Order: sequence, then structure tokens, then C-alpha cells
Amino acid sequence: MNDTPIRIRVRYSKVGNLRFVGHLDTQRLFERALRRANLPLRYTQGFNKRIRLNLASALPLGFTSSAEVLDFWLDEALDSREIFQKLQEALPAEIRIIDLNPVSNSLPSLQASVLSSDYRIWLPRNLRPEDFQQKLDQLLQAPEILVSRRNKSVDYKPLIFESDLQTDSDSKLVWNLRLSSTPEGNARPDDILNLLEINPAVCLIERVGLNFITEVE
Amino acid sequence: MPNNISLIEKILYSVEKPGRYVGGEHNQIVKDWDSVDLRWCLIFPDIYDLGQANLGLAILYQILNAEESVLAERSFAPWVDMEIELRRHQLPLFSLESKQSLRDFDILGFTLPYESIYTNVLNILDLAGIKVRSEERAENDPLVLGGGQACYNPEPMAEFFDAFVIGEGEEVVLEISQVYKDGKKTGKNKSELLLNLAKIPGVYIPSLYDVSYNPDGTIAMFWPKHLDAPEKITKRIVAVLPPHPTKFLVPNVEIIHDRMSVEIMRGCTRGCRFCHAGMVNRPVRQRSVDDIIPVIEDALDSTGFDEVGLLSLSSSDHTQILDLTRQVHEHFHDCSLAFSLPSLRIESFSLDLMDELKDLKPGGGFTLAPEAATERMRAVINKPLEDEEFYQTITRIFENGWRSIKLYYMIGLPTETMVDVEAILQAAIKIKQVGRQVIGKGVKIHLGVATLIPKPHTPFQWLPVERPEQIQEKLDYLKVGARKAGIKISYNLPDSTLLEAWLSRGDRKLGSVIQTAWENGAKFDAWGERENLQIWRNAFSAHQLDPDFYAYRERDLTETLPWDHINIGVTRRFLQRDYEWSLMGRTRPDCRNVCFSCGILDVFGDQRPAEAIGYWGCP
Repeated sequence: MNDTPIRIRVRYSKVGNLRFVGHLDTQRLFERALRRANLPLRYTQGFNKRIRLNLASALPLGFTSSAEVLDFWLDEALDSREIFQKLQEALPAEIRIIDLNPVSNSLPSLQASVLSSDYRIWLPRNLRPEDFQQKLDQLLQAPEILVSRRNKSVDYKPLIFESDLQTDSDSKLVWNLRLSSTPEGNARPDDILNLLEINPAVCLIERVGLNFITEVE
Repeated sequence: MPNNISLIEKILYSVEKPGRYVGGEHNQIVKDWDSVDLRWCLIFPDIYDLGQANLGLAILYQILNAEESVLAERSFAPWVDMEIELRRHQLPLFSLESKQSLRDFDILGFTLPYESIYTNVLNILDLAGIKVRSEERAENDPLVLGGGQACYNPEPMAEFFDAFVIGEGEEVVLEISQVYKDGKKTGKNKSELLLNLAKIPGVYIPSLYDVSYNPDGTIAMFWPKHLDAPEKITKRIVAVLPPHPTKFLVPNVEIIHDRMSVEIMRGCTRGCRFCHAGMVNRPVRQRSVDDIIPVIEDALDSTGFDEVGLLSLSSSDHTQILDLTRQVHEHFHDCSLAFSLPSLRIESFSLDLMDELKDLKPGGGFTLAPEAATERMRAVINKPLEDEEFYQTITRIFENGWRSIKLYYMIGLPTETMVDVEAILQAAIKIKQVGRQVIGKGVKIHLGVATLIPKPHTPFQWLPVERPEQIQEKLDYLKVGARKAGIKISYNLPDSTLLEAWLSRGDRKLGSVIQTAWENGAKFDAWGERENLQIWRNAFSAHQLDPDFYAYRERDLTETLPWDHINIGVTRRFLQRDYEWSLMGRTRPDCRNVCFSCGILDVFGDQRPAEAIGYWGCP
């Protein structure tokens, strides 16, 4: 056994029914898939040994994603293509690995380096673009954007980094949002939809990017 | 990107834990709907979280899907929030795999492991747009089939099911499939189909039977209305346990018993007189160590689980158990796996077993079920154990490093007096002292106290449930004493065991009561037992029935019991003699060594395989 563990970074997408599988469940899903993949996994030390595994940022329940990132550790170096293939085979069809690479152990933890998330929201068809744009402008120009979370009021104003409304080829309204995703300020796009009186359940929301302090290798 | 957000997905956004309803687990089997001749939906009528780990479901799922021309999907009871959404959007309840409406399946196979989910069965049928009463269903509605441990008394649910499987399902589900497919091909109508199903051993078609009652409410006569319907329905068994499933579905959301289960042995020869499972699951059949180890290996490879439950009714009675635990240790000790070995007997041998397993991953507390605290009482229930051996075991448990012991006891046992109840508390206090002496500091003792519900097909089947005032008095005594002694105690209130008593011991008249209770809002009765109890009482009075008739009445030894037409292989004569021995305090030793002619060999002896092929516990 190599004393220095090999840190593997995986970018993956999560779609379909798996968007109804929450953060902790996704973590367990990966633990089991990694075991099925029969890789030389590094376990945590101590009484209750667990697979060493870190997910970058919790994806809210109900969202798809094409930009999730996680790290896990191996006891010995293997060819990345081999790991990719074994892990992909062990994963459900609705999780696809985008790429997988060894990264330096000296990089900070994923959770500590996430800055923001990019979301793409397909808005319902019955929405008139000009009405929505007007409501959106009104909201974004307000001095405060208050969202109540567990009886606590959070100001989203400083957490919304970018907002861009477009029409796709299918003449559907597509709204791109960059929101803060740090432990100090974590904004959810469904909260903003609720403020705009749009039921998030009738939208399709996908995380299309995770942005880190240092660029992901 | 998909543009159509279907109605189901929209609904899922607004319910708690939507992952319960979407399927998609690793090892799920999805077949092309149109490529098969027969479609089963296997339904566990409780929420996914409670049902998905059920081993019976996993076994039947694999067996049915192994047939090329058959598909089997799954469905569970939706939780209350999901039900509201389904009803609001008029969406029929669907299967997890293909999201097909339950109404579109050929056979709905409900498993009924316990009675408190009876109302959920009605609710599920209703949510699927299917009439709850068998007689009201249309020709093209699915066949509604029941099976499982509670079906050894099918009568309370007789009016809702077209057919029941009595006993083990591994073989009979394929025979049912064949009869159904043949009937479909030859254009048979439902009543012809039912008659053909009635010819399959172990299949009970309740509509082919009639019952009449005496003025006092007891059964006068129960008889088949048709020549093809057997007078008694003999349960099915598999002579040799079939290959164990290994491709378990791996849930994506957290569930209860989130691990894989491997059945190492079926049945039990001990003959504890209160134990339904011990009577109805005879004979004892076990898997050999050589069979079990590869099953665990394959299942771990195909699931990635990190916890394995080795299931049986009495682990320490497996003839190769020490070898099994050693080999488990040998094969898996560096895989960071947790193993559990439930139902250990209180004897030093059990500790040798625990020692083997402890190395794999230290577990929590040690669980023991003496069930009664005096030697006399233990003789009455036929779970004999001398105090001396009991305390020796306890001492060794502490010496081996455990600091927490959970103890299960029962109250409301026949011939029980306050002396027996006081002994429970005294035992707990003494165990605590022993622990302190051995370990040198405090230990955790947890008392679990259950009330006896005399179950059908057991030697206690004629007994009443003890009256709530007396149960309450005994519980109060134990509660106060345990609190004083710093012992944790958990128990069921007398009220909350009533429903189980009514439904497990009931007759066909209870069908109307169940339906009325459900119509008035009873469901998930195990969760809201106390809240639902008034609904149930009202339902009894709506049908001029007395609930006490079912719970608190001692039944005459000559009475026709509602489950007498179900033959579990153990004779009524045997049960009666055992009951009489019980009252005399006479025990009946483990019948592996000496046969007491319970009847099982008379019924199934000709199926018995050679020892080399399949072990049976009978001598």
C-alpha cells in the first residue's frame, strides 16, 4: 500500500430521476458504486472506516446537473482510463462521468474552494418574455432581495453575481444565473423563482457550472 | 434537454423524499412492456423506506423477471403528501420501473407481512382506480393476489383479494403465471381463471368458500362452494431453498435496513409457544456454508453494500454456524464490512459467534430475548433457560467488552402473576449490577416489553389477549421501577396492540370493518395506531360487531377457528396438546433431536430431499 493516497477528481452529470436523489444519498450512491467498481479505495482512519470521498457542493433536490465535481482517494495509482471505465460501469445510467483525473493532494478541499454555481433555468412556455424581464429587473434593482429560510431572512442581493435572459432555438425562455455557493452565502435559484411567483416545479433547472477559487485542473 | 416535464415529475418536486417514487436503483430490471405476455406488479403496502429491504420481495422480483415472457415491477404505499398530490391531479398510482398505472398490470401481488398495513392495501387499490372489493371488480381489472406471513389467517382480508398464496412463494408464483397466461391465450374469463388457480396447491380463492355463524358469533360452518376448491388449503413450501438472489436493488435514498440480507436458514425447531413464525415456517431448511459464502461475495460485488444481515429465526441453531462465522471472518475481514447475526439464543455458544463477528466491525449493544424472567414462566412459553446459565452468559457478554444490553420480555403471558412481572425488573437491575462489577463502571440496560398477542396456528391460539387494565398495571410497575433504577424501557401501550389482535385473530366479518375504517381515514395504522383507534371502534359498531369478541375472548377448544381451513402442516391436535403442556409448565425440547409428530412430515415428508441436497431439521 502506498502511504500517499492518490487523489482522483471526477466531473460528472446527474440527470433524470437521479435529480430526486439528495446530497447525502448521492454521497452514499458514490460510495457503493466505488465499491462495486472494485477499486483500491482509501478509507478514512478510525473506528468507523468509510471511503474517503468529498463532494464539492450540494445540488438541491430536483435539479439536474452537467457540472458536478467530487474527489475520492485510492491507495495506489491506476490508469485514469481504467478507473473511468470501471466507475462508469458501476454507476447508474443517469450519472455520467465527464472526465476523471488525478490531482495534487495539496489542493484545498473542494468544499473550501467552491465560489459560485452557474444555473440554467428553462422557464415555462406560458410566460411572456417582456413580462418576465420586467419583473426580473424590478427584483434585481431593489435595494434588498429578501428570502426567508427556516425562519431566517437572507439578503440574496450580494449573492446573485450574474443574470442573463435568453431565448433558445425552440423560442423557449432560458435564464442563466450565477449564484454564490459558499458556506457563508449559498443562494438557491428556486428561492428566486418563488420571489418572482413562478413555481420552480414547472421549470427545468440545471447546474451547468461550478466555479472554484483556483481553476479545477 | 427534455421539454416535457411530465405530471409525475412535477408532483415529485413538491413531496418529501421524492426518490421513493422514481425507481432507477442499481440492479433494477426494466423490460419492454410490450415484449412480455404477463405483467406482475409486486406491492409492499407500506412506504418504500420500509418495504424495499424486504427479502421476500427481492426473491420474487428475481424469480419472476428471470422468466423471459414475464415482467415484474414494484410499487409501494405513497406517503400521505404524495397521496394528496396523486388524488389532486387524478394520477393513478404507478409502478417504480416503468411508471405504468397499477391498473394496467395483469397481477397485483401484495405482500402482507403484518396486519397494520391492511388498510393501506385498500388505499393502494383505490389510488389505482380499482374497486377494493373483489366482487365489485370488473372482468379486465388486474388479479389481486396476496401472500406473506399474515396470510396464514387470510379471512379478515378475504373480501378484498381474488386469491391468496398460502406459504412460500418461490415456486407457486411461476405456476400462477402459467395458469394466467394459458387463460389469457384461451380467452378464459375471470371466474374460470379463479377456478383454475384454485387447483394449484397453496392457492386459496376466498370467493369459492362460504361461512355461516352461530348465534354467539362463532363460526358454525366453513365450506367450499365448488368442487374444484379444496376443503383445506395446504401451505406451499420449497423442499430445498432455491438459489439465493444476489443482484439486490441498491436504493438511491436512505431506507430502513439499508443493507443486504442473506437468509441462512428458514424455520425453527425450538417451538416457542408464542411464536407464529416458528410454527408456520416449518420444516427447518438451511443453506450450507459453501452456498452462503459465494452468495455474500457475489452480492457484495453486484451491490456495493457495506453491511450484511445473516437472517434466520435462530442463528445459533444453524448446524454450521461457527464454521460460517469463521469463514465470514476469513473472507471479508479486510473489506470494512459490518455483519449482523440476529436472533441469538442465550447460551455461551452465542458468544463464540459474536466474538467471530465482532472482529469484522464492532457493533452496538448485545440483544437478548429471554421473553420471561422466571424459570417457571419460561417453561410455560417453552423457551426454557436456567437463571444460572442466563447470568453466566450476561457476565461473559460484559467480559467480552459490551457495555450495552437490550433485553426483550413479554407480559400478558398465560398463568402470569405479578411475581413474574416483578422478576423482569429484578433481572434488569441484577444485570446492571453484574455489568458494574465486571466492567467497573455503569452499563446501559434497555428493556423492551411487549404484550402477548396469541396468534393463529400457535399453541396459544385459543387464549385471550390480557385485559388492558391488567396490562397497564404491569406496565406502570415496570415503568416506575425502571426509571428508579436508571434503566431505559420501551413498551407498547395496551391500546396500540389491539388492532394487531383484532386483525390477526379475526374472521371474514372483519372485511366490512376494515373497509369502513379505511373509508373513515384509517391508513398507515402502525404509525397512528392510537389516533386511528377510535375510527376502528366506530367501524366495529357500524357493523354491530364487538371488538372484544376478537381480542378478549378465550376460545373454546371445540370452536371452529377462522383459520382452520388453512393447513400449515402442524396439526391442531399437536397445538392443543402443546397448549395443555404449557399450562402444566411442561416443556417440549428442541425437536431436532426427537420428533413430536407436529404433522409437518406427514404432509411434506415425501418432498424431503436427501441430506446432501438440502438439510431439514427434522430427525
